[in-house]
Amino acid sequence: MRTLDPQSLTQHVDRLYRAAWALCGSREDAEDLVQETFARVLSRPRVLHGDDDVYYLMRVLRNTFLTNLRTASRRPATVATLEDVVAADPRPTTRPDQALEVQEVYGAIARLPEDFRLALVAVDVLGLSYREASRALKVREPTLTTRLFRARKQVARLLEVSDGESEAPGGPRGKETGRPGSSMEVRANDT
Amino acid sequence: MTPEPRPRDESELVEMIHAIDVPAPEHLHERVREMVDEHGSSRVRQAPRTGLRVRFGAAATALAAGLAALVLALGGSGGAQLSLAQASAVTLRPPTMPAPPESGSDDGALAASVEGVRFPYWDTRFGWRSTGARVDQVGGRSFHTVFYSEGQGRRIGYAIVAGRAPSLSGAGSVQWRDGTAFRLGRADGAEVVTWRRDGRLCVVSGRGISGATLLMLASWDERTVAA
Repeated sequence: MRTLDPQSLTQHVDRLYRAAWALCGSREDAEDLVQETFARVLSRPRVLHGDDDVYYLMRVLRNTFLTNLRTASRRPATVATLEDVVAADPRPTTRPDQALEVQEVYGAIARLPEDFRLALVAVDVLGLSYREASRALKVREPTLTTRLFRARKQVARLLEVSDGESEAPGGPRGKETGRPGSSMEVRANDT
Repeated sequence: MTPEPRPRDESELVEMIHAIDVPAPEHLHERVREMVDEHGSSRVRQAPRTGLRVRFGAAATALAAGLAALVLALGGSGGAQLSLAQASAVTLRPPTMPAPPESGSDDGALAASVEGVRFPYWDTRFGWRSTGARVDQVGGRSFHTVFYSEGQGRRIGYAIVAGRAPSLSGAGSVQWRDGTAFRLGRADGAEVVTWRRDGRLCVVSGRGISGATLLMLASWDERTVAA
């Protein structure tokens, strides 16, 4: 058992940002989610039971993400969307050549159903083990494995479709992909 | 990650995802460092202090410095007309920065201001405690927002817009209080009140908060808080 060292958290910002981006499908929302996650973690001393910092952060990220999702779904339709709010830093990444590819991949992940998305983000984006991910997401390991398998399949298919439709107007490619829950074409078929 | 063709199977997809090493923007790193530093310094200070008011000096300093820097960088910038919905949207978003504490010198204000216009302190009088802050760019304008919460968990966002006050479209009906025009409207399911303080546009809004309550809070601030 140990107390989480707040100073150690700063080394995980990049990983958490990537995870948040893949969850939200938007850099601006990802920044907010990361800040909210750290604010929540820092709100009181945290005792870890032999757990890795990243595992713990994933748990808090998941909870914060789900809370935001639930809150957003209860709100009435907006007149002015939050897209009206421009992020302070308009640069997509420090390596612009990556921007489109990253946005495409993370955008495809963000289009997955919530459970699939969380599984893929925990394991493939954040790098947690199956055991850590299943604990962080509060599901059994076989369930996580199934979700992960299906999530990967669906993302691969989405990217494939996206490639095939790249010239088609209105196709997913090159389009700023949706916010959480905003495009749920792929339906969960979980066990 | 390089612009490779589409993944042919799931294993290639996993490799592709693993290869993404895009870093978080520097300002996000900076915010997190500030949050961690503030956390450390406030915990150190908490031990010897036992007063009713918990002061967050470092947070206030950081917030004030951040606000001042942004104001200096962006102050006075012109911009197109804003809509009421645009102006209120930021006040309904979640906070991303620590709450500013009460000003040490002025009981009616917090230790945070925008170009000399201070955020009000509502805790003692009304039971609305400052709980967070955020800064946004909307239509080329810098919105500095402080959030207040009360016992029932309801939240109000109070934004002061840096620079000369822009005109606001769709701002609703006008109510006069002590010579100041307060405009009452509704956007995104929330009541909104807008008005000017020392030439700066102010916006208060909150879900589930009546226009009358918002007007009372906004006009109290206008009468009592020294700019």
